[in-house]
Amino acid sequence: MTAWIDFARGPLFRLSLALMVLGLLRIFIITLLEVRDGYRANSDKIVSWKEIRRQTLGWLFPMFRLWRQRPIYSTVSFLFHIGLIVTPIFLASHILLWRQSVGISWAALPQVAANWLALLVIFTGAGLFLGRALYSPARKISHRQDYFWPLLLITPFVTGYIASNAVISPRTYQEMMLVHIYSGDLILLLIPFTKLAHCVLAPLSQLVTGVAWKFPPGAGDRVAETLGFADRPTWVLNPRLTTAPVEEAIRKGGVAK
Amino acid sequence: MDRVRRLKLILWMLLGLAAAVAITRFFFGLGATTHLSDATPWGLWVGFDVMGGVALAAGGFVVTATVYIFKLDEFHSIVRPAVLTAFLGYVAVAVGLLFDLGLPWHIWYMTIYWNPHSPLFEVGWCVMLYLTVLTLEFFPVPAEDISALASVRRFLVKLRIPLVIVGIALSTLHQSSLGSLFLIMPYRLFPLWYSPILPVLFFVSAIGLGLMMVILESHFTAYLYRRKPETKLMRPLGEAAGWVLILYLALRFGDLAYRGQLHYLFASAWQVKLFWVEIAAMAIVPLVMLWQRQFRKSSNWQWATAAIATTGIVLNRIDVGGLADLSRGGSLYLPEWTEIVISLGIVAAATLLFLFMVEHFRVWEHRPADPDADPRKLPEFNKVGFTWLGTPVIAGRVKYSLAFVLAAGFGFLLLGSPRAASMGATPTPTHRARGNVGNIGLQLAAARTGKPAPATAGTGVLYLDADLTNWGVTFYHQREIDRNGGEKSCVICHHMNMPHDQESGCYECHRDMYLPTDSFRHDWHASPKGANLACVQCHERGYPRTSAHVKPCSDCHKDLVPAGATIKITTYIAPSYVDAMHTLCIGCHVKVAQKENKPEIARCAECHKGKLNFAAAQNYLYSRHAPAGRLVVLPPPKVSEVH
Repeated sequence: MTAWIDFARGPLFRLSLALMVLGLLRIFIITLLEVRDGYRANSDKIVSWKEIRRQTLGWLFPMFRLWRQRPIYSTVSFLFHIGLIVTPIFLASHILLWRQSVGISWAALPQVAANWLALLVIFTGAGLFLGRALYSPARKISHRQDYFWPLLLITPFVTGYIASNAVISPRTYQEMMLVHIYSGDLILLLIPFTKLAHCVLAPLSQLVTGVAWKFPPGAGDRVAETLGFADRPTWVLNPRLTTAPVEEAIRKGGVAK
Repeated sequence: MDRVRRLKLILWMLLGLAAAVAITRFFFGLGATTHLSDATPWGLWVGFDVMGGVALAAGGFVVTATVYIFKLDEFHSIVRPAVLTAFLGYVAVAVGLLFDLGLPWHIWYMTIYWNPHSPLFEVGWCVMLYLTVLTLEFFPVPAEDISALASVRRFLVKLRIPLVIVGIALSTLHQSSLGSLFLIMPYRLFPLWYSPILPVLFFVSAIGLGLMMVILESHFTAYLYRRKPETKLMRPLGEAAGWVLILYLALRFGDLAYRGQLHYLFASAWQVKLFWVEIAAMAIVPLVMLWQRQFRKSSNWQWATAAIATTGIVLNRIDVGGLADLSRGGSLYLPEWTEIVISLGIVAAATLLFLFMVEHFRVWEHRPADPDADPRKLPEFNKVGFTWLGTPVIAGRVKYSLAFVLAAGFGFLLLGSPRAASMGATPTPTHRARGNVGNIGLQLAAARTGKPAPATAGTGVLYLDADLTNWGVTFYHQREIDRNGGEKSCVICHHMNMPHDQESGCYECHRDMYLPTDSFRHDWHASPKGANLACVQCHERGYPRTSAHVKPCSDCHKDLVPAGATIKITTYIAPSYVDAMHTLCIGCHVKVAQKENKPEIARCAECHKGKLNFAAAQNYLYSRHAPAGRLVVLPPPKVSEVH
């Protein structure tokens, strides 16, 4: 088991971290480039930069906007995010690993604070999961993977908390570490390729909808042409207009025409 | 464009892999990422990235000379790609050099701190100037599309002939000077490669390689972009390269015969096999292929000929640059995979830049058209993600960046832990200074009374090669004592008394040649077999048992520091033997050199006079103190020598 732990702590961790950092950088840059492309394509449209800035800042700090609508959810979610980000970065044991392998270190949280933060993440994470599962409107807009994320995210916190407080379960340290490190690596690995990427994309969301989410002039006709309805003007609501040709094209693996 | 896209995907992957290695190299240094050592400090990066890169870029000056000086106008269409290849080649050389330099941020030093005696100084200046010339030669091409730069462009076009002449002069200078670099090491290079005419050989082979590279590049891009291959145009270039290669063969074998080294051709060293592979690839096989009738018609045949010759000549540069080196200890240098990845990554970056230039500027008569970029073309679903990724530019952005990121992650997975945390210098334990130090007390007494010292007083000469390699410094101990004021001068250098000893030798604490060592032996103090001390006999009760809460060593070791010692001990971490000696000796020598106006006594060669086969000359069994205090007699060192 030690060999497995060492693998996850060494090469696998390097892989996960590199993929996370570079992958997040990649989607951030790609998104900005696409916003630029969109802006160029829609240069005749008016973009309200002030409104975009106001919306972005408003949604980034949940106490402003979300607080008014769903105070409990926004508080729990905010606390969950704080613990999720602060604890792994400023945990003394993690910094020690950095110092031993790379030789860099920074200020650490006191162990007591780290323990409380871990508990905070575990309970708020469980709360978010239960809220999604038990609150009917939330359940209706949830995909299957949405139930998985809070559970995955609190896994390294639960196992890490048990491992660092050995009195809870003295004989399972190795097992806890194994689960802790592999689930942590898995999270890092998944961040840039899943909806967890909102950690860098969230600040861009208002920009994308404000700037890029506009159709270029004549786009409607081109869409219609692509879908095989070139002969019909798109602005006429046509009952015969179905999605059947598109579905057939997808089945064939290409586009019709 | 399908071939181009596939190639770009592979190149971005290589670039990602190289990025992972590059981060490791600049964070953890050369030791973590290369097989280079003090014995073989130049390897693949110098041989391939720098010397091979410079030679591969020789096409620039060869083709510009052909067209603008010799006025062979039928080759006008290949000037722009050749100049672009040369320009990117030199950029790659400059980037590759940054990887190989121990202190890359000092690369500009040679422009300020001149060393006009060094061929490397000349190479550095020439490469810098020629890169500037190539930039000016190529600049009119991208400037064509920008109307604001029209006047600059017109000026540069007028300047073309002088630029071409300066370019040829600079190329001639440094293509040959790269060979001159190795004239300094006749005993390090295998005799089949070492030659006093290495500069000439380098220059001639660079011309051949330049021509071959133009052929290779033309046919390769024709394959990539599905253009019509320029078989007819390339034929005379190939034939010219053939004559150059014949001249090269004549020079190389003629030189070997003239210097009586031909018997090495059939010696039984592995370097001889390497030599034959190299000569076959760079000259013999291409020459035979050039003679065949297929060379006139078949683009594939021309392509293969050029590829083999290019490989051979680059192999020649790698051999001279490090592979055919004879290292002092007979150790063999083979490049680490990370070195190969960095080299490939630099080539990949240069190729991607080439493709970018070709697609965006008029490097050829016509820019290659991308049928997929037509806005009227209907979108296609991507086979993997089953989505439409967008126009070719956007789809490329998505795919190439993903390839880069995944490859970089994979690279970090491959870079094992010991490599990511550099092992640093190999531990090299030090030993007592060798030689007949004799009885200093008797010598001092003799000096005081003016009588000749008795035979038992010894000569007072030491040989300092603490790693027992016979490469050391002869140290006139007695002379230093006499010069610095006799008995009271001991404390100028000696600053520590070991228990039951006085003015202990340097090796007692500076226990490693290159690494700092801990002069305080905690294990020994705590061990029942050593001092057998309990923790609390040194550490304070009730405090963490660290160096912060401990009584000073001098509480027990009353005479640890000699009275009046000039070197004050602040920590018990002793610097490496080399650092300690250099700091002590050079510090004093520099002062005396200034005071007495004798600059030569501060030079390296004042002390480092070369190798002394000490053990054989004096049949001397040297000894050292084992930690327990017993005297141990060691066998003389075995240093395997190639020569």
